[in-house]
Formats: sequence, C-alpha cells, structure tokens
Amino acid sequence: MSPYDSATSAGSSSGSSSASSSTKPADIDGLLAGAGYKVRSSDLCHVAQRLERLETAMVNSPVELSQLASSDTVLYNPSDIASWVDSLLSEFNHTPSLPSDLPDLPDVVVGPGINPTVINEADATWTDHDAPQQQQQQNVQSLTIPPNQLTVVTAMEEDSGIRLVHMLMTCADSVQRGEFSLAGSLIEDMQSLLRRVNTTCGIGKVAGYFIDALSRRIFTPQANGLFGGSASGSASAFENELLYHHFYEACPYLKFAHFTANQAILEAFDGHDSVHVIDFNLMHGLQWPALIQALALRPGGPPLLRLTGIGPPSPDGRDSLREIGLRLAELARSVNVRFAFRGVAAQRLEDVKPWMLQVNSKEAVAVNSIMQLHRLLGSDPNRSPPIGIVLGWIRQLNPKIMTVIEHEANHNQPGFMDRFTESLYYYSTMFDSLEACTLQPEKALAEIYIQREICNVVSCEGSARVERHEPLAKWRSRLGQAGFRPLHLGSNAFKQASMLLTLFSAEGYCVEENEGCLTLGWHSRPLISASAWQAVPDANSPLGIVTL
Amino acid sequence: MQQMKEKEKEKEIEQKPKFQMNDHIDILIEVLKRLDGPSLGVAACVCRLWCTLTRSDSLWEHLCFRHVSSPPPSSVRPVVVALGGYKRLYMVCVRPVLSRLRNSDSELVWTRDEVQLSLSLFCVDYYERRLGGSATSASSLMFLCNPAVNV
Repeated sequence: MSPYDSATSAGSSSGSSSASSSTKPADIDGLLAGAGYKVRSSDLCHVAQRLERLETAMVNSPVELSQLASSDTVLYNPSDIASWVDSLLSEFNHTPSLPSDLPDLPDVVVGPGINPTVINEADATWTDHDAPQQQQQQNVQSLTIPPNQLTVVTAMEEDSGIRLVHMLMTCADSVQRGEFSLAGSLIEDMQSLLRRVNTTCGIGKVAGYFIDALSRRIFTPQANGLFGGSASGSASAFENELLYHHFYEACPYLKFAHFTANQAILEAFDGHDSVHVIDFNLMHGLQWPALIQALALRPGGPPLLRLTGIGPPSPDGRDSLREIGLRLAELARSVNVRFAFRGVAAQRLEDVKPWMLQVNSKEAVAVNSIMQLHRLLGSDPNRSPPIGIVLGWIRQLNPKIMTVIEHEANHNQPGFMDRFTESLYYYSTMFDSLEACTLQPEKALAEIYIQREICNVVSCEGSARVERHEPLAKWRSRLGQAGFRPLHLGSNAFKQASMLLTLFSAEGYCVEENEGCLTLGWHSRPLISASAWQAVPDANSPLGIVTL
Repeated sequence: MQQMKEKEKEKEIEQKPKFQMNDHIDILIEVLKRLDGPSLGVAACVCRLWCTLTRSDSLWEHLCFRHVSSPPPSSVRPVVVALGGYKRLYMVCVRPVLSRLRNSDSELVWTRDEVQLSLSLFCVDYYERRLGGSATSASSLMFLCNPAVNV
C-alpha cells in the first residue's frame, strides 16, 4: 500500500468526521480561514510542528516524494491540514530511511505554500544514483532548509557549495580506499551539481578544479604519469614561463619572494667586490633587475656581478636562457654594473652538477631557490629522493647565503586523503586572495597556473608528482640536518615586504615574522614562506672545494 | 598658478611692463620647481617655452626627491636617467607610491626605504618594457618580434 493511499483514506475519514461535527467558527483560526484552510486555533502550534517535520521527512525520503509529487495525486479535503499532515507523517515514520538526527536540523519557518518544485529540484541528484545510507545521512546534515521562497535560490547555492565540499571529501576518501566505481559516480554527481553553482568565484570555482583533478586521477591515470610516466611532458617551457609571468603580475606572492630574497642577498653581499648569484629557476629573470639596480646604488659602488641561471632547455633551438641573459646584461650596462651571465639548461634540477656552475673561490656565492627545492622530494619508487645530493653540493659551494622560498603547506603527506584535504583548504585560500585582482588576462592565466599545481598534487604520483610542498618547520629540520644554519631576515626585509603589500594589493594580505623567516598569507593563513640559510662550517671536510 | 598669470596680465595692461616672466628663465624655473605634479602638467600647456622647460628632467628630479628626508646620493641620477628619466619615474612610481602610502593629501617626508622601493619597481618596469611590449602584455609579445641581438 503506498503512502498516498493511506493518506487519502485517512484524509477522507477525518474529513467525514469533521464534516459531521457542525460547530466550528469559534475554534478555527481566522487568518488561515481566509486562505481557505480550516485549522483550529488550539491546533496551530501542533500543525506548525507537524508541517516542519513533514517537510524534513519529505526532503529526506526521495523515493516517497517522487510518488507524492506524481501528477495523479488528489487531495481530499485539503483544508483540513492538521489531519492530512498527521497521516502523511505517520506514513513517513514507518520508513527506515528517516535519519535519526532530525532534532539537530535548524528550526524552519514554514509558510502555507511550500513550492513543491523547489524541493524536487534539490533532490534530483539523489534520485539518480543508489547512494549508500551513510552518504545520504552525510548530505542531510549539510542541508539547510530555506526559510521562505524568496531566498530559495541563494540558500540553495550555499548548501550546494557545502554539499560539493562534502562530496569532494567523500570522493577523495573512496579514492584512497580504492573504491573507484563509487568515486567515479561521485564525480558525475558533482559535475551535475556544479552546473547549479556559480563557478566564476568562490567555492564553485575551486571545487571545479578539484573535481577535474580527481577525475583525471580516476579516469586517466596513465596520462598523468601516475605510475611513473614522463613528468609534465605536456606543458611546454614557453607555456610555463607565460603562466608564471601572469601569476607574477596578478598577485604579490612572487613579488614578495623576489624582493625579500633580493634584500637578503644584498645584505649578504655587503663588502664583497665579486659576487655570483645562482638562480635555480630563471624564467624571465624578473627578480634580477631590482638586485642589479640596488647593487648599482649601494654605497661604495657596484661589484662585479655574475649570474648563473638554470632553466629547462628550449625545444625549438631558440636559446631562451641566453636571451634573458642578454636583456639583463643590457640593463646592467645601462646602470654601469659589470655583469656576466651564464645559462645552464637542465630539464630537472637534480641533473645539474656543480661543475656546470663554474664557481670560483674568490667570489661570494648566493643560491636562490624560488619554489624549486620541493620538487626534489619525490622520485621513482626504487631511488631515494635527490634532495640530499643537491643540498650536499650546495653546501660544498659554501654560499654566503641561500634564499629558500617555498609554499607554506603540507602537500607531501603519504596519505592521499590528508594531502587532498590540506590542498583544498590551501588553494581555496589562495583563490580567495586572487579575487581581489582585476587585471585581465593576468588573473585568468594565474588561475591556470594554480590549477596546474592542483592537478599535480591531486592526480599525480611517484616521480611525476613534483609539487611536494612542505611547511617551514619541516624545511627547517631538513636544512638543519643537511648542514645549514638559519640567517635571520632583518627588519629591512620586513619593512620592504609590508610596503610592497600596501602598494600592490588588497586588504587581507599579511606579512608575518616567524623566527627570522617571513611569511606572506591571506587573512592570517600563511601561504608562502621566505627564509635564508648559510652552510655550517664542517671541521672534517673543507668547504669551497667542489667535488664531482 | 592662475593668480600668477592674471597678475602678469594686469601688470601688462596697467603699467609699463617692467618685468616679463618669460625673459627671466632662471626665475621661472625656480617657480616651477615648487609646483606639484599636476600643476607642472598644467604649466606645460601654457606656452611653448613653458612646455620646453617643464620637459626638463631636472624639474621632475626636484619633484621626486623634494620631500625625501635626506638628499639622495649622486649615483642615483645616472641610474634613473638610464632607466627612463625622472619624469617617467614620477609618473610610473613616485606618484602611485606616494598616493598609496599616504592616505592624506599633505605631502609628508618620505623615507629612504620608500625611495629605494620606488627605484626597484622602476627598474622592473624598465626591464619588462625591454622584454617586449608594455608591462602588462610583456609576456604575450615576448617571443614574437624581438630582433636577433648580437652582443
């Protein structure tokens, strides 16, 4: 027997009973009577509560709802709401799918006419697949019922956003457990839910990128080098440089990195006449004009500056490293700084050998690594990560200073779920900060740059996963063990960073000092950290001698 | 500015002209040195002589560093000139820096750090322009039409 049948039978029976008793006017609520409903005033509270519970029950039980909403529903004596509601509720109370945590849901003010189509739309996604009981309960907890029809749309969006986050977590969890069929169906549901959410900003945008990354992981693992294939083969060096440049323009993270590192290098080079900077990732060399200019104006005159830029080889025979070197040389010549450039082309940082850098013993060396060291933390399963070797030869060079700028995030944990959760919060914050930017196309391309990082963190494994961000605390211990001691970034660096932020950015960015290191964050969540290091002199092996 | 011009005219009409500003360029320059940026721009529109004078970079140098607490070292000038000149420095860096760092209209003394930061930003701007195209579209034009450079 369907619930509808019993409802109508109950309704008709109570209808007949109410028709038989003739005395009404004193009891019936006047306002509702005007709308055509007959409810006793004394029953109003009871009816309101029952309607609330009916609504939550209807929302939670999609199977029954679809039956109720079918077109051949006929209501007998609809004016007697009280008994009608009671009878429906009694039917719902018999179904086992009613979640037990109903009292936790927020109080709902229910108007006399809840638009049934609205509720149907909310449940359309649920009726499409056989979600396990647990999943449904999870979704129920996240659903807030809109108070009235006018605010239905925005409230729906809000809880769609919250629902998306829950579904993302569930999907990531099922990926970690290896339940790929469940994960796949969740992806489809999320994609359909995404159509209803505003994907141009906020949670919708971020969720879209994460759904995309998850679907790559689930459906096309081979293409991402999941099992040790070629790393980032699809992205050309030109594209990377382009996206990097737009990321530089759109938000202050890279500018903060460059200016802070330059200030530290400038202070470390004080008093030296021959200096050598080794840049682990040259790109367009945007960091170096400011250093060249600062060296030109330093009291005592500029030193001889050598710059060694490491970067990927250019595919079409064009020597992009040399071109950047020429531009920098031209700038240096205009401001009368003696300058020499050397380009080292290497696909990966671990392929660079110290002899390629041609460091001579009389010069002061600065090593500059902007978001490069974390790429050395991963490798093929059979080999150990190359970070140890690289830190070793850096130490052998005995640099006056090594500036390390890294993401302030923990994206290198062994468990997938932990990584996923951490990166969801990190990149949500970063996208949030990007909302303040109004430059186009800088903003759009910066988003693609960030999206590539997300894809790498979420959908790649093994040697293909290069975005292995670790927080400052871990870098401190790692560098300490490798024989480096921290150099405190001075107050000048802090002042400069604060000034820079005031110039370029919206409210919300904050610079913080963290035991001699600086972090730049958005609303008290640090996103990028800058630190400086020096090699600890080792009594046993003499430093400054380069071993091959 | 306006008052000065009117006064000149009055003098011209009522008395025998004893003093023509345009005959005494050194005094004119001293006056122009004390103007602020927008006024200098307006002064450039007065006549051809004034236009030529306001193009002189030394006026803008004075404007840039007028309110610096200590005068900048002499090594700054060749650097700024090489990177595009003081007028450009003012337009691209000093004016936006001052307006962002100072909420009030009054021009307060600004510090060496702010000067240094402005110069660094100026240098980055120069470099991005040299990379190709304007600063914002530098990337898109970068590898398109740079001629082969033989150093």
